[in-house]
Amino acid sequence: MDRAPDAALAKVRERRRAARRARLVVVLRGTLGAAAVIGFAVWAHLGSGQPVFSPHGKPEAGWEAFHAAYDVDTFGRDGYFVRAIQSGYNLIHHTYRYAWRFTRKGALDRPNACIDCHSETDLAYAFASGDRYDAALGRRISFEEHVMRCYATHLDGFVPTIYDPAVRDIRIFARMVAHHLQLGEGAREAPQ
Amino acid sequence: MRPLPAGWAKALRLALLFGALLGLYALAVARHEERAQIREQAVVLTPSCADKLDRYGLAAGPDYVSTYMLARGWHPDPRRGYSEQDVRAIQRGCNIIDDLQGQLATDPGRERWNSTRFVRGTHTSCDHCHQGIGDKQTAAGVPQTGSLSLGASWVMADMYDQFTGILLPFELRQMQCYINSSNGYKPNVADDLIRDVTAYSRFLAAALDLRFGNRYAEQGIDEVTASSTLKRGDDYVRGAALFKEKCARCHGPQGLGTVVEGKVVYPALAGPNSFNHQSRNNFSFVSTILPGFICRNMPLGEEGTLSNQDCRDIGFYVSNLPRPAGDKEGPLAALWNQLMMRVMPPMIHAVETWRHADTSGESGA
Repeated sequence: MDRAPDAALAKVRERRRAARRARLVVVLRGTLGAAAVIGFAVWAHLGSGQPVFSPHGKPEAGWEAFHAAYDVDTFGRDGYFVRAIQSGYNLIHHTYRYAWRFTRKGALDRPNACIDCHSETDLAYAFASGDRYDAALGRRISFEEHVMRCYATHLDGFVPTIYDPAVRDIRIFARMVAHHLQLGEGAREAPQ
Repeated sequence: MRPLPAGWAKALRLALLFGALLGLYALAVARHEERAQIREQAVVLTPSCADKLDRYGLAAGPDYVSTYMLARGWHPDPRRGYSEQDVRAIQRGCNIIDDLQGQLATDPGRERWNSTRFVRGTHTSCDHCHQGIGDKQTAAGVPQTGSLSLGASWVMADMYDQFTGILLPFELRQMQCYINSSNGYKPNVADDLIRDVTAYSRFLAAALDLRFGNRYAEQGIDEVTASSTLKRGDDYVRGAALFKEKCARCHGPQGLGTVVEGKVVYPALAGPNSFNHQSRNNFSFVSTILPGFICRNMPLGEEGTLSNQDCRDIGFYVSNLPRPAGDKEGPLAALWNQLMMRVMPPMIHAVETWRHADTSGESGA
């Protein structure tokens, strides 16, 4: 007579255990998933060292010296602008690595970076004289369009859009150098 | 009539499709050609532009020396000169700033790059905010502090913009003006409308000998913050009274602007022709810019007569008048604002007329 209630009780207990196990699995799965996402984010930002995961540009050789020589911190007064300048510096000096999508040039090719043809000062003067008529092309050309054309021709690659950081950061870099040299609109380089 | 064989029907459909595509291509080529012709044709300047560009010595040549700077006793180094094409771009840019809607043009569509495509209302022109064709000067011929100078804005472009959270190029800032201050649509970054204004702004920077990245007093607005007042708070009722007294004679009792013979004499501050909620002129969005503009530029001929508190009160009142919704507010807000813009003016007019009649009746008795 007592067996029936015991069996029913055992079934209830078994059902509860099964429900607890199922709940635990769900919680564990969720926790593990969240931990994996958080772990990846922490690793990406702090431990990976990959520039693609960091808002701060990778300090390439020469950046610190350039940074000090051109008073980069005094211009713009915000982290965004300085980061864009650093990105511009990296693009100009190591174009084949930082704008690899827009050039076919590799580490062993020459030229493989903007700096192989243009100095920082050249870029600043070009920026100051941008948006002018180009007789060879028969129309007015902006500084950005010149950069886009360089990617497609001298760097044997592809044309980025005008909004791409590969164009924008070079313009911002040139603007910073123009500020450092205190250039005005249409300034001309003094004859050497 | 006999039906066409199956193969023929298919061929006809294909021919129609190709014909339509060819038509679109021909249209695009024709428009492209038309634009190329406009770039080549001589520019008819507005009177203000003719005066300004003449004063600054704009002419084609290998060198450019600012006659403005020479007149002020400075001798800047010769700058790279402008070609005929550059000069025309600068002239068109000046015209666009002075007369965006083409009210002074004989052929507004061609002479202003169809700028009205990008503006919903019929009142707005760049010059309403960027006074003095983007280069407002004092009686002594010095650029005025906080006058939204386009030249000074160009040399400080690409900086971090707190309202949009990006490094804002000059071209994108112009697009924002079309979307919000003109309550319209954004042109493409490479559109002649944008490029000509950039050319004109760059010319102003050359004429005034502005240097890249330097902050000049004429850039932006000298904003009127709450801390520059006695901090009594912004008063809507006081703003309404001041508006009636100081602004309504030009902008109309409800701020709907004044149009005479189809020409905008004073622009709308409310209603479908005014700036929208997302414009930086809107007090509820940025509370310091409109009061700054009012204090510096209004009322016409009596500039500088209003106190900071007056300007904030008027700005608060003006921004509470019905106006178009901003581009980020969504369809319900847009619908509500459309309704308000249609219902409120006649209702207020009716109430005002009734009150006026009532007051006249009482005083008559």
